[in-house]
Amino acid sequence: MLHIELTQDDATVTVHFQGKSILRNPAEFLMPIVFNTLVKAKGQGKRLVLNFCDLLYMNSSTLTPVIKVLEQARIGDGEVTIRYKKSLKWQDISFSALSIFQTQDHRIQIEGVDP
Amino acid sequence: MSAELVMTVSPDWKELERVNSTAFEFLRKQHLTDECVNRFTMVICELVENGIKYGSRELNGATVQVQIRITENNFTVEVSNPFNASSLPFLHELDHTLQWVRGFQDPFEAYLARMKAISHEAPEANKSGLGIARIAYEGRASLDFFVNDNNTLNVSAVAIIE
Repeated sequence: MLHIELTQDDATVTVHFQGKSILRNPAEFLMPIVFNTLVKAKGQGKRLVLNFCDLLYMNSSTLTPVIKVLEQARIGDGEVTIRYKKSLKWQDISFSALSIFQTQDHRIQIEGVDP
Repeated sequence: MSAELVMTVSPDWKELERVNSTAFEFLRKQHLTDECVNRFTMVICELVENGIKYGSRELNGATVQVQIRITENNFTVEVSNPFNASSLPFLHELDHTLQWVRGFQDPFEAYLARMKAISHEAPEANKSGLGIARIAYEGRASLDFFVNDNNTLNVSAVAIIE
């Protein structure tokens, strides 16, 4: 089951994704969360971080809201980081492909980490 | 090395958790690398999702049949479900998507193209259409399908075990 937790500090608002995302329509559930958090983060002058390091599995539909929030931030002035566990091969393959949405001004970053 | 797992899945989305866990455990027991276990679990689950989404649920007792085979060099999964006129739009879309993915020299390019297309769709559009491209790119699997005489749609994916 997918578990989502929100945390924040002085510079970021982070959405932590944990468990398995196999919802039939993840966009319906995730879109309001990520879009509202993007607006909230922007309003506070903070970066939105979508942290997938603890995600065990996701279906392809889970990527839809992620892609759309990246595009929303790209055409606006939001700052978003996608963070994933680089040592997990499946995460590296899935999330590194999102690099096509990275911006040169670093507002959108795709970040493989090894926590 | 040769092993097989057969599952009968009700056309109920809740079944996917069981499919995911059962497939993962089966693959893990075959002494595959973690990378292969995760990759093949994804391929299986994406195909079963399609079987549940687009199979003909109105047929009494309709189930999704899943057959996973591991040999020394190959991974194969076959997902079959009853098929009738209501599934025709999906069949056409599946055919079109497979042809589209095959049109790219590298499945990664198809995956990126689909992601770019999704980024330009309206926020409320909730159909990803990314599954087939993901199976080809991340799963490094070849996909095919046929409809047999009993009106059963059979979709298969084959990948080399590395």
